Amino acid sequence: MHISEGVLSMPVLISGGALAAAGTAAGLNKLDYDHVPQVAVLSAAFFVASLVHIPIGPSSVHLILNGLLGLLLGWVAFPAILVGLFLQAVLFQYGGLTSLGVNTVDMALPAVVCFLVFRSGVRSNDLLTSMISAFLCGLGGVLLASLMVALALVFTGKAFLGAAKIIVIAHIPVMVIEGIITAVCVKFLKKVKPEILEVANVEE
Amino acid sequence: MLRNNVLQEKFFSAGPICIAAIMLLFIAFVPNSALAHKVYIYAWIEGDKIHTESYFSSNRKVQGGLIQVFDPSGSKLLEGHTNKNGEFGFKIPEKTDLKIVVNASMGHRGEYILKADELPDISVATKGMTNARGVGSSSQRGVSVGPEEIRAIVEQALDSRLGPVMRELFRLREERGPGLTEIIGGIGYIFGLMGLVMYFWGKKKRKGGK
Repeated sequence: MHISEGVLSMPVLISGGALAAAGTAAGLNKLDYDHVPQVAVLSAAFFVASLVHIPIGPSSVHLILNGLLGLLLGWVAFPAILVGLFLQAVLFQYGGLTSLGVNTVDMALPAVVCFLVFRSGVRSNDLLTSMISAFLCGLGGVLLASLMVALALVFTGKAFLGAAKIIVIAHIPVMVIEGIITAVCVKFLKKVKPEILEVANVEE
Repeated sequence: MLRNNVLQEKFFSAGPICIAAIMLLFIAFVPNSALAHKVYIYAWIEGDKIHTESYFSSNRKVQGGLIQVFDPSGSKLLEGHTNKNGEFGFKIPEKTDLKIVVNASMGHRGEYILKADELPDISVATKGMTNARGVGSSSQRGVSVGPEEIRAIVEQALDSRLGPVMRELFRLREERGPGLTEIIGGIGYIFGLMGLVMYFWGKKKRKGGK
């Protein structure tokens, strides 16, 4: 899902960078002292998730976990994902430094959108509603991220339009797996540490 | 009430099992996936042709990827698509440094630079070598095989023998992928950053509090 260096045109890179900066600023504004460790843990989870390659489908796909990050962090997902992507670019050569902004927006914006859409459902006292919302949140994060990547590529040249469809199809297994992971995490957190879910909601 | 308790117990036992299952999944995937998500292209020369092979670092071939070949000034010499095995071959367009770029789907991109001095001299190759040393004497014994033919045969044999070795060398050089060092290092950076943020923030907070 990382867009490599030298693929996108300058305007796309610049607007991606500007949006990422704005989102990160909004996220840092929302961040408070007590949540710094939680953000770090989730940023580390995001960083490592890209190594979990899913051997289903025609292309090379891996976990993203942006839906989960959005659900637990809200706007703070922006700085968390930015840090994770930066280290992936530097240490793994996934993506690249010039495309860092675009990649951040591609993954963090869906995270925030999913957070806004599904937070009340996840907070519900009814376990089934909560789990289904969490599943959709994990799935939606990847689906929207796929569409964002496709959008960035379409801006670059029409030749990529076909590839856009491929991205979404290739990520269907990831969507399902992330939906399940998010649902399980929410179920687990509701039992063990329900205030994490509550706080994220209050924070917004 | 009792039923509620039973339900709760069930969840308590199911939660850790689910988490354990996910952890197992992670562990099962990681060994073959430690190298995921980068595109490599390798090019080698066979006679007057250049062959390329493109693959993701998960060792999956890039199928139908767009290959473009550029000269040093950046103008495109030719392009084509990889086949089912991630391969694409073309005639050497000219004797300059060639930049071969592969565009796999989803914005993945890799490139390989073939230096001019690695390329055979095209004009000489087509005319045939005239100074093949030592082979003339053996060809005079009965079967008449010209130096060019011997040269071609030797070259073919060498190519087929050395091809896999060269590819293996390339893989060893290029495809180190993220190792444990990078992974642990990255996690360390994140927690180091957390420490820094908390340190300075905490300092400010204490001062502000007083």
